[in-house]
Amino acid sequence: MKGNLAKWLKTIEITFSKHTAYKLNFVLLVLAPFLVFFFIKFNLWSALYEGNNTPEINGYDLKEMIQYHLWILIIGLIGTGHISFDLASDIRLGRISSYLIYPFNFWEFHTASFVSFQFLQIIISGITLLLVSSFGLVDLPPLEVFLIGVPYIIFVSLFWFSMQFLTGILGFWLEQTWMLRVLFSITVGFLSGAVIPLDFFPDYLIDLIEYSPFPYMNFYPTKIFMGEEVNLLKGFLIISFWLVIVNLIIRWVWNKGIRMYTGAGI
Amino acid sequence: MRHYWEIYKEFFRTSFAQATSFRVNFVLLFLMDNISYLIAIGGVSFIFQHVSTLGSWNKDQLLFFISFMLVMDNLHMTLISENFWIFGDDLKQGKLDFVFLKPIHPIFIIFFASVRAGSFFSFPLAWGLLIYHGLALDLSFFQWSLVPVFIILGLTLQIVIEIIISTSMFWLIDGMGVNFLRMQFQQLARWPDFVFKKMFRRIFTFFIPILLIGSAPVNMLFGNDLLFYIPMYGLALSILFFVMLRLWKFAEKHYESASS
Repeated sequence: MKGNLAKWLKTIEITFSKHTAYKLNFVLLVLAPFLVFFFIKFNLWSALYEGNNTPEINGYDLKEMIQYHLWILIIGLIGTGHISFDLASDIRLGRISSYLIYPFNFWEFHTASFVSFQFLQIIISGITLLLVSSFGLVDLPPLEVFLIGVPYIIFVSLFWFSMQFLTGILGFWLEQTWMLRVLFSITVGFLSGAVIPLDFFPDYLIDLIEYSPFPYMNFYPTKIFMGEEVNLLKGFLIISFWLVIVNLIIRWVWNKGIRMYTGAGI
Repeated sequence: MRHYWEIYKEFFRTSFAQATSFRVNFVLLFLMDNISYLIAIGGVSFIFQHVSTLGSWNKDQLLFFISFMLVMDNLHMTLISENFWIFGDDLKQGKLDFVFLKPIHPIFIIFFASVRAGSFFSFPLAWGLLIYHGLALDLSFFQWSLVPVFIILGLTLQIVIEIIISTSMFWLIDGMGVNFLRMQFQQLARWPDFVFKKMFRRIFTFFIPILLIGSAPVNMLFGNDLLFYIPMYGLALSILFFVMLRLWKFAEKHYESASS
């Protein structure tokens, strides 16, 4: 147990330095998409409010809309920021063979890498929050909101990572898996309220996605941080349900995939 | 020119043969493209349930603009997009030695060799959306005849800008970040220029003219600000084409591989 913990810590440490080694690449890869996304939304919503000469659109004034998207930016960095680039290529290029011999398996290695990435993202989102709140762009909620909200987003990120892992190990069968990853990202982006708040969606669509994990990945935590009442237990239960389902599928896919895997020298 | 066309036909044929041997990839690409198109249109439609205009444009005009950009995106995804990713990998692994030795311009081989055949089949939805929203605007025959010309012009400007951005990979260890930056610029170009605040609009029109990619052709099509967009577009395209060739020549000198 103690030996295994040491392996986890060492892997987290190594992957943390790997993430921070190529700083420009990290900024362009991880931070820029969120910043540009926010930049577009800031300009778009400002133009919409100014052009329509209205103080309120669907219950949001401009300040609330900007706050909503800033929280989406901050929450997204932790909840949905991780990208599992290496998973599928590890399988396709046969690098997975090493993990079959190592005393630290494939899932452990990638999960440790994810954990180290999350440490980095928590720091970055903390700095971002301090910056935007110091400019008065968001109102900092009370401490108890952070105590509920932050663990909730970390929980969401576990679901996100599991989905990334699942799409990655489909590399046992697929030549390329990035399409699945992008497909999942754009679906989450849209149906979780990261593009436009879910209040703007027609009722039938909101009913349709109510028991999917999507609304609870961005819209719910954003509302928590904006100080609005949400049914947190429902969000937690639905994400838990999908987390269990996805992990059962991962297990099944992994067992099937590893049986048909062939690598040089095996 | 004919020589290049013959080579391009071979690139096209090889890419299609390769793509059809991975059928699931084909289906996934089709799904990914079509869902993203529907989301782009759906998002704007949902917003317009609550507002009537964006800047000086109404819903039909904006949806036409978005569809115009989707057609351009479809062509970009099909004809060129994959090459930027392959270029990043090849550069990192020093695989470009033979490319530089061939009697064809390396830009042509590097950025036009791979065609993403799967995206070709998303063509009907992208064009269908453009035609549908164009009909809602009651475009004249003359305006319709200009649409393909402007799409090609917009795509050309986008490709030139992206090749300029990609040359920075010669100085970097990993090109992945640059490719993500390129994609962020694509995101910015997908909105009309008047959405952006004055300072940003100036930067992205005069210095890094990504806002000209879609806004200039669509505004010219609508007959807006022709005196600004026509010379601006011509100037941007000529200057950037020249910059691209010079920068590429300079960047080539920084190429390193085990045998070069």
